[in-house]
Amino acid sequence: MRPEFVRALSRNARANILLPVAALMLSLAPPLVVASVLAAEVTPQQEVEGRLMCYCGCSDLTVRVCTCGTADAIRAEIAGRLSDGESPGQVVASFVARHGAQIRSAPLKSGFDLVAWVTPFVALILAGSALVVLVRRWGKARGIPVTASGSPGAEAAGARTPEERRALERVRREMREKR
Amino acid sequence: MADFGTLCLFLALAASGWAVIASLNGWRARLGELVLSAERAVYATWALVVLSVLSLEYCIFTDQFGLEYVASYSNRALPKIYKFTALWGGQAGSLLFWELILISYASLIVLTNRRRNRSLLPLVVTTLAFVSTFFLGLVNFMARPFVRLAFSPEDGSGLNPQLQNPFMAIHPPCLYLGYVGLTLPFAFAIAALATGRLDDTWFRTTRRWTILSWFFLGTGILLGGWWAYVELGWGGYWAWDPVENASLIPWLTCTAFLHSVMIEERKKMLRVWNLALVIMSFLLAILGTFITRSGVISSVHSFTKSDIGPVFAGFLGLSTLVSVGLLLYRLPDLKGEHRLDSFVSRESTFLFNNLLLVGAAFAVLWGTLFPILSEAVRGVKITVGPPFFNEVMVPIAFALVTLAGICPVIAWRRASPRKLVEKIQIPFWALLGGVVALLLRGVRDVYALVSFGLAVFVIATTVMEFVWGARSRQKVTGQRFGGALLSLVDRNKRRYGGFTVHLGFILIIIGVTGSSAFRQEATASLKRGESFSVGRYRMLFEDMVSRDSPNAEFMGARLSIFDGERGVGTLVPGQNFYKAGQNPSTEVAIHYTLREDLYTILTGFDPHEGRATLKAYLNPLINWIWIGGGVLILGAWFAMLPDLRDRRRDAEARLLEVESRAA
Repeated sequence: MRPEFVRALSRNARANILLPVAALMLSLAPPLVVASVLAAEVTPQQEVEGRLMCYCGCSDLTVRVCTCGTADAIRAEIAGRLSDGESPGQVVASFVARHGAQIRSAPLKSGFDLVAWVTPFVALILAGSALVVLVRRWGKARGIPVTASGSPGAEAAGARTPEERRALERVRREMREKR
Repeated sequence: MADFGTLCLFLALAASGWAVIASLNGWRARLGELVLSAERAVYATWALVVLSVLSLEYCIFTDQFGLEYVASYSNRALPKIYKFTALWGGQAGSLLFWELILISYASLIVLTNRRRNRSLLPLVVTTLAFVSTFFLGLVNFMARPFVRLAFSPEDGSGLNPQLQNPFMAIHPPCLYLGYVGLTLPFAFAIAALATGRLDDTWFRTTRRWTILSWFFLGTGILLGGWWAYVELGWGGYWAWDPVENASLIPWLTCTAFLHSVMIEERKKMLRVWNLALVIMSFLLAILGTFITRSGVISSVHSFTKSDIGPVFAGFLGLSTLVSVGLLLYRLPDLKGEHRLDSFVSRESTFLFNNLLLVGAAFAVLWGTLFPILSEAVRGVKITVGPPFFNEVMVPIAFALVTLAGICPVIAWRRASPRKLVEKIQIPFWALLGGVVALLLRGVRDVYALVSFGLAVFVIATTVMEFVWGARSRQKVTGQRFGGALLSLVDRNKRRYGGFTVHLGFILIIIGVTGSSAFRQEATASLKRGESFSVGRYRMLFEDMVSRDSPNAEFMGARLSIFDGERGVGTLVPGQNFYKAGQNPSTEVAIHYTLREDLYTILTGFDPHEGRATLKAYLNPLINWIWIGGGVLILGAWFAMLPDLRDRRRDAEARLLEVESRAA
């Protein structure tokens, strides 16, 4: 059984709105699940190492992957601080206090830094919405409703002029005869 | 020889400048001879640039350290292969190399269009020669490769140790061939806009050049990843470094163009969008070069920082102004007949694919430039590192992979949902089967499950496209399956080349997922005879070894490798101490298998205690990235080959051109 609000929509509207929404959700749902699961899997040591950039100057890598001596020293300090009972946040804050905000490997998810995180997705959603509007307009421009129906269905036939319908019938008849 | 090189460069600048003026005025005044003179000036520029490149190579090979460039990027003991690659090891040389590729492409364009596209060619030459003049101006006045020092040192400083790797012999040329190649469709687009000849000639002529640029850029990116993997010693291949990003961004927009241009070919739609994508790709390539060379963003790749940033910014601004201005001016003429028969059609999937590809390009660009923005707004330069890009790009990549799976099974114009469901039934069950099999094998990482599941889905839909196509052909021709498949692929090189590219992309996704989700690592400080383990491998530290060569001294730890109890070989990770430089360079040792790589690094050795500090990574499935890259390259190469339809179309175009000229 379809939900009430789905039944309330016309067949065209269902095709035009629900299909893209469903496709988008199908595409984006797994990664959202992934993000939450991944976040839960790392150890506090790995979390802090991933949140800090190595300041050795020889690479653009996080402490988690950099192999230089500086990164070794930072890793040892992180381990010491964590074992002393500091939280990952406190360890990161102490490094930021000494070396500046640049040592963070990614912008914060608050304040001005939040702009960095949301802008790509806002742009994508806006562009996607504009594309949906455009596609609907392009569908209507031809006089054929944008429909999910495969074979030229009732709606499509209804939108054609009598001449077009007659021509289409003729083509179909000829094709049947050829077969 | 240096003076000869300088003279050649100066004459090349004059010839290139003449090509701009002559072709532009020849086109405006309809003077065929002036246009011909411009075309000859392109050939002359090419010859002069080749001579100056040969002069620089001669100076490098004959150790003329009185030249600043040779003293900075070469030394007596440098192996011959790296003396050759020193041409692009520094700022001035790499700009000269860039110009060599550009003018070679331009000469090829002039050569191959002697008898066709004559209406577009003058402005194509103008655009190419203008870009060439800019680069020649740089190497003549700002980054000169033939500058003499006040004295001649005994020996040079040598090439950056990290560049002394065989990959560096092919990675930069591939990238440059890709970056510079984007100038060709751009030049044709500008010519089409300026002349008002906005039919499909410009993109049909440049389609293969665009795939070639895309192919080289992709190959360059891949080789860069491989180089980072074997040379930098951190066990990874991609760090979202600004310079890496700078190569990825135009590749993404170029990929979008290669998809959307198919809609223009079939339905005469998206003309403005396609022109915008070509312009965008060129401008982003120049922006990438600006980022690499200006030093506005710090990067481990910025080997060649200098003060040419403002000049590049000016060129970028001017190019943007002219191209966007022309596009806006021609907007009324570009109004195509936009029709879409159904939301469920291949056209739709291509549109959403374009949205995601350009969205991905924007996300990478945004993350790359955000430090500058944050510094301008708040006075603090915020680092945007790998965690940001991984988090932002993973959802977009998953959506793209999903589309790559659905796209081949959706028909052009209008797909029937019933048929679509029929077609994705088997791939969908394959997806579920794959996920269940992974769950049964103990895989619990949701990221990996989703990624592998989607990969199985795409592989299944793509392989079934081959099978269905071959079966249909079998019915028509009565051939055997193998013969039908071969003739099907041969007749539709572009389509099946494209599907092969998709398969390569999916293999890369599998490699990336395996190596990032299941990576294991171990570190140990060992005395001789001690061992440590990572995954199922045990590494026994046997002894220290050393080798001396004229260029460097190598010191390494010999490790016997055991897979369980079975010995599988010896690895010698170590460090190279280059005689011309100060810093040691890590030399990793890798045990390669299709299942995984055992990647070992020697991070230090204490001679007093006889202890070696070693690090080992187990990188599952990583080699599928390179295999996938190979498949992708193969597919792209195949898609570039002309098929019967292309040859017929080219012949018709030539006939039309001849007829119109005769008329």
